[in-house]
Amino acid sequence: MESIGTPKITTLAPKELLGPLNDVERKFAPSELFTVGPMEIPLPRPRVSIIGSRNASPEGLAAAAQISSALSKKGVIIVSGLAEGIDTSAHKAAIEQGSRTIAVLGTPLNRVYPAKNWQLQREIMNSHLAISQFRVGSPVQRKNFVMRNRTMALISDASIIVEAGETSGSLHQGWEALRLGRSLFIRKSIVGNPSFKWPRKMMQYGALELRDPKQVLEVLPSSKRISQITVQI
Amino acid sequence: MRITVLDFGSFLSYSPHGASPDIDQAREVMKIMKADQYLEKPQILMSDWIAKTIKQHLDRLPFASLFKENTILVPTPGSSLMQANSLWVPHRIATALVNVGIGKKVVACLVRKTAVRKSAWSKPSERPKVKEHIASFSVQELISSPPPEEIVLIDDIITRGATLLAAANRLSDALPKARIRAFAAMRSIGNSSDFVSLSRPVTGTVQYRPLKDDTIRRP
Repeated sequence: MESIGTPKITTLAPKELLGPLNDVERKFAPSELFTVGPMEIPLPRPRVSIIGSRNASPEGLAAAAQISSALSKKGVIIVSGLAEGIDTSAHKAAIEQGSRTIAVLGTPLNRVYPAKNWQLQREIMNSHLAISQFRVGSPVQRKNFVMRNRTMALISDASIIVEAGETSGSLHQGWEALRLGRSLFIRKSIVGNPSFKWPRKMMQYGALELRDPKQVLEVLPSSKRISQITVQI
Repeated sequence: MRITVLDFGSFLSYSPHGASPDIDQAREVMKIMKADQYLEKPQILMSDWIAKTIKQHLDRLPFASLFKENTILVPTPGSSLMQANSLWVPHRIATALVNVGIGKKVVACLVRKTAVRKSAWSKPSERPKVKEHIASFSVQELISSPPPEEIVLIDDIITRGATLLAAANRLSDALPKARIRAFAAMRSIGNSSDFVSLSRPVTGTVQYRPLKDDTIRRP
């Protein structure tokens, strides 16, 4: 695992980064979040996670890039986990589109995993935003990535699983998105793959089949927040 | 089917179609409600805002008679199965209403034992039928004795009312003597030209159509 030096880190409570959270959102929210990058705080929206396997197929990688580009063009901020495969494809497509992206790390912000994404992490820290819930110096453990996946669901208005096996970490994010009442989309070709059981199970709990990125746009909140509702009765 | 016409009330309205500043705002409010997020001014959860605003204007709202001192509020399950500790917006709205003194208590006795297709993502012809909804519900918890006389099903959004009519019938099987009515925080307006404003309190009916096994909502 590579080190990226000691970047200038901002420490925030989740509500400072995301706005106030309801009790369902607070249940697995980390107590603090560490960020590096110039993106404004609280985070702009809408934000969509594009996630999936590290060992993705060429078709999966292409789909991640295509979905990321399509959403980026509409002003959506692409969130992913900076892992190999689908995550990297999603981040890079957003950057190539001239849009914005957020990397949510399973390591402290001064570490890079996988090492070959050192340059991508640096670019995201310089021009976008990297977030971690793990303090610099804390050990990198397997369970960190499960916790990170839940946090990524919390940060995202919707999540898209592009490709994932039965044991993929992306499924943790999928279940958490459903628990939070956020939209979870599963790419159509995965839903139709008879070798996977998890898509059908998640669809019983509210996941949707993704046929077109436009479906995602329909569920997203506007970039402008409603501050006040006035009703006349 | 015991109940073929269900009385309902609703408070707000939105249209999934069309575009204008008012339509866009109402749709945004719907999304805030579906996630039960905080409003900024005042900083208050959407479910609490709904309850507080209804309480504030209750004497002028057409659906006020739904809520009596002894009314039991039963949140309506969504179309999907639910994990533990999940966001359940109708339950949160029901709880917020009781917290401001509207209704006696919340009894979460209805659950989905099997998922049904989401109406919002289905063509009208593919939406789940009323009997399919009824078969997917079960009554999990018996309401304590004496049996309630007044029950109001609480939902976040009413579209055609098939879910609410089915839920009312499932409940009525378990509690045949109770008067069952429904309340939805928001009413979906299919034709955007019929959309008037976010605040559009109404009372109306959901009527069963046996030949098609579907429902008509008025208004």
